Amino acid sequence: MAVRAEPFGRGRLQAASSLADRHIRWLLVAPAILLILFLTIYPLGYSLWVNFVNYDFALPGHAWVGLDNFKTVWNDPIARNALWVTLGLSGACVAVELVLGFALALAMLRPFPGRRLLMTLFVVPLFISPIVVGTFFALILQRPFGPTDYLLGKLLGHAVTIDFTADRPWYFVSIVMADAWQWTPFMFVILLAGLSSISDQLYEAADLDGAKPRQAFLFVTLPLLAPIVLLAVTFRLIDSLKLFDLIYVLTRGGPGTDTYTLSYYLYQQGFQLFHLGQGTAGSWMFMVLITVIAAWLVRRLLKPVEA
Amino acid sequence: MSDELRIGPEDFEEVGLDPGLFEASSSRKDFLFDTAKITAAAAAAGPFFMAAKQAKAAETASLGGDPIATTAASAANKNFHGAGITRIAEAGLQALEPKNFSGPLWNKLTGGKVSVVEAPFPEIFSKTVAEHIAKSGAIDVIDTSPAWLPDFADRGVIMPIDQLVAKYKASATFADLHPLYRALSKYKGKTWGFFDDGDVWNLYYRKDIFANPKLRSAYKAKFKRDLAPPKSWAEFNQTAQFITDQMAPAVYGAGEGRALGNPGNQFYFFQTFRNFGGQFFDPKTMKAQINNAIGVKAMTSIMGELKASQPGIQKLDFVSSWVAWLQGKTAMIYAWPPTGRISENYAQRDKAFAFLPKSKVVGKVGYALMPGKNGEHAGSFALTISADSKNKEAAFLYALWATSPSISLQRVMLPYTLRDPYRISHYKSPAYRKLWPGAKDYLIALSDAANNAVLDMIMTGAADYANALDRAMTAVYAGKDPQSGLNDAAKEWDSITNKLGVDRQKAAYAQFLKLPGATAKNTIAARGQAVHIT
Repeated sequence: MAVRAEPFGRGRLQAASSLADRHIRWLLVAPAILLILFLTIYPLGYSLWVNFVNYDFALPGHAWVGLDNFKTVWNDPIARNALWVTLGLSGACVAVELVLGFALALAMLRPFPGRRLLMTLFVVPLFISPIVVGTFFALILQRPFGPTDYLLGKLLGHAVTIDFTADRPWYFVSIVMADAWQWTPFMFVILLAGLSSISDQLYEAADLDGAKPRQAFLFVTLPLLAPIVLLAVTFRLIDSLKLFDLIYVLTRGGPGTDTYTLSYYLYQQGFQLFHLGQGTAGSWMFMVLITVIAAWLVRRLLKPVEA
Repeated sequence: MSDELRIGPEDFEEVGLDPGLFEASSSRKDFLFDTAKITAAAAAAGPFFMAAKQAKAAETASLGGDPIATTAASAANKNFHGAGITRIAEAGLQALEPKNFSGPLWNKLTGGKVSVVEAPFPEIFSKTVAEHIAKSGAIDVIDTSPAWLPDFADRGVIMPIDQLVAKYKASATFADLHPLYRALSKYKGKTWGFFDDGDVWNLYYRKDIFANPKLRSAYKAKFKRDLAPPKSWAEFNQTAQFITDQMAPAVYGAGEGRALGNPGNQFYFFQTFRNFGGQFFDPKTMKAQINNAIGVKAMTSIMGELKASQPGIQKLDFVSSWVAWLQGKTAMIYAWPPTGRISENYAQRDKAFAFLPKSKVVGKVGYALMPGKNGEHAGSFALTISADSKNKEAAFLYALWATSPSISLQRVMLPYTLRDPYRISHYKSPAYRKLWPGAKDYLIALSDAANNAVLDMIMTGAADYANALDRAMTAVYAGKDPQSGLNDAAKEWDSITNKLGVDRQKAAYAQFLKLPGATAKNTIAARGQAVHIT
C-alpha cells in the first residue's frame, strides 16, 4: 500500500482550523466578556471588598473591619430616616402618578379635536432632564422670588407666606408635585396603550349583558389592565426609589436631613465626605432592598402569565 | 448664579474685529464662518478679558520689578519652558482670574499653559480627593481652603513646599502677609502653600439710613442710645429689627443668605458662638460643646437676625443677599470683602459681574467691625501643590509667582476678582486706594477685621463637622427648637470624633487652638500682633 505523505504542516493547519471552528464562538464573545468583566464584575468585586475594610479619606490605611461599615449605616439615624423618606416619597409619587396617568389615559382614549396636540404636550416633560425640572420648580416655588405664594394669595384673597421648599410638610408636597409633573406622562402612555388594546367587543358584550359603565370599568377594564398597571408601577417604583436629582436641586436634603433619600445619603457619604466604606456598604444594603422589592413586583407581574 | 461673560460690539472692536459682526443677521453658513473668525481672532488676541492696566503692571513686575515674581517666572521659563499646569479653582469668578489673567500672563512669560478646572466651592474638596484616590495626577495647583489643609496634608493630597521655598530663596513672600493669614498655610511645622485670599467678614452698613434724622430720634427714644453700627449681637438684632419695623418692605434691617451649603450656615454659628465665648470641643474629652448654653444663645441670636431679615432668607444663597443689598433693600449686611467693591460699582464695570445689578448705594456704604468685633474668617484660599502632580516644581513656581506681592496686588485689584486683599502691601497700596473714593477706609477696615477675626474650623474632619452643623441649622430655621437642633449636631460631631479617633482629634484640635483666631480670646489683636494701617 502506497502511502502518500501529507505536505508538511497541512495536518497542523487542519487541526488548528478545526480547533478554531469549535471555539470560534468563545473567540467572538471574548472581547465582550472581557469588557463586562472589566467594567462590571471587577468594580462589583472591588466594592464587595470595600464593604469590609476601612476605606475612608479621613482615616489612614484599609484595615479589615468586618461588618462595621454595615453596622454604622444601620445605626445611623440619618440613614434610617432616609429609608423611610425614600419609601414614603416613592409610594406617594407613584400613587399620584398612577391616579393622574390613569385619569389622563381615560380622558384621551376616545378621539376629539386637539387630542393629538394635547397628547404631544403631555409627554414633553418625559424628555426633560430631572435637574432642569427641579430647577424649574425651585424657581416657581421658592420664596420670595417664586410666583406661587403671590398667585395663591390672589386666589385665596389673603397673603400666603409658605416656603414650599423649606416648610414642613410642603417640601414633601413640592417633591411629589415635581416628580409627578415629570413622570405622570410615563404612566399615561403605558396605560393608554393598555386601554387601547382592550377589545371593544368586550364592552359590547358587557353592554348586552346589561352592565352599567361603572360595572364595565370595574369588571372589564380593571382586570384586563391590571398587568399593565403592575408593569408601569414596577418601572416607576424601581426608578423612584432611586430619587436623587430632584432632591439635589430642590431641597439639598434639607431642612436638616428631612428630605434625605437613600440615594442622596449615599451620594453624600461617598462622594462629598468620602466615607467610601460606609457609602459602599449602604449601597449594597440599598441594592438588596431594591432587589427584594423588584423581585416581588416582577413575581406578581408574571403570575397572570403563568396562570 | 450666572456670571458668564456677555460680549458686546465693543469687545469685537477691542480685538480688531468688525463690530458689525455682532449685529448683522446672517445665514447658517455666515454664522458658522463668522464663529470661526471670532474664535480665531479671540485665540490670537490672547487674554480676551485681561484688564490691560493690571496685566502691564504684572508683566513689568515679572521682568525685574518684583524679585519674587521675577525669580519664579525666569526659573520656570529657563527650566520648565512650556510645561503645562492644571489648576482647580472655584467655578465662576474665582476661576476667571487664572483663565483670563494669571494663566495667559504665565503662558506669555514661560510658555506654559495654565488649564483651569472649575468646581463649586465644596466640590473642589471632593474633586481633589477623588483625583488623589484615583492617582490621576490631573491637577497640579489646588485652590485650597485652609479648613481642608489638615486633611489634605495628613492624607498626602498636597506636598510641603519648604524645600522648594528654600531652593528659590522665596521665604520673603511670607513676610508681607497679614499675621492672621501667615499662620494659615502652615500645619504641623511645615508650609503647605501660599495664602491667597483674605476672606474675613466685615459689617457694611448704609450711612444714609443711619443718618436719617427721623429714624435716629425714634431709635434714641426707644433704646436710649444713638443709632450707630451695632457693637454687640444683641444691638445688631435690635437695630436690624427696628429698621425692619420702620422701613420694611422697602428696606430690611439685615439679610444674609442662609441656604444649605451656600455659603454654609456653620460660618454664622462659628462666628457668634466664639464671640459669646464658646469653644467647639472640650479640649480634654473632645465632647462637642456647641449645644451648651452658649451655643443655644448663639443660635437664638441667629434666629433673631432671621426675623429681622427679608422673608425667605433661609433659602436664599449669598448672591441673592448681594442683589438685595445693591438694590438698597438692606440696611446692614455682614459679608466677604467683595461687598465693598460691588457697593461702589467697582466690580460691575466688568462684564463678568453682569449677574449683579448696578449698585444703588454708591457712596452710601460705611465699613465697621462685626458686632462684638470678631468677624468670621470664612473660607479663603491658599494655592497648594498636588502631591500627585507630574509638574510639581513648575506648579510651585506658578503658585509662588501668582501670590508674590506685586502679582497678587494686581490680581486683588482686578474688577471681576473675588480674590481679596491679604498682604500688608495690599492694604497700603496707593494704586488700590485710588480705585474709588472710600477705598482707603475699606482697606483699613479689612486689615482691622483680620486683626479681630475668628477662624473657621481648621482641623481634620472639618468638612464633616461643618456639614452636620449646617444641616442642623437649616432644621432650626424650619421650626426645630434651637436646643434640639444643636443636640442633633453635637451628637453627630461626637460620632464623627469617635470615628476619626478621639486621641487623634484631640491632637488636631490642640493644633487648631494654637492658631490665631481659634477663639475670641486668641485673635491677632488679643495677642498684641495687630497690624495698624493708616
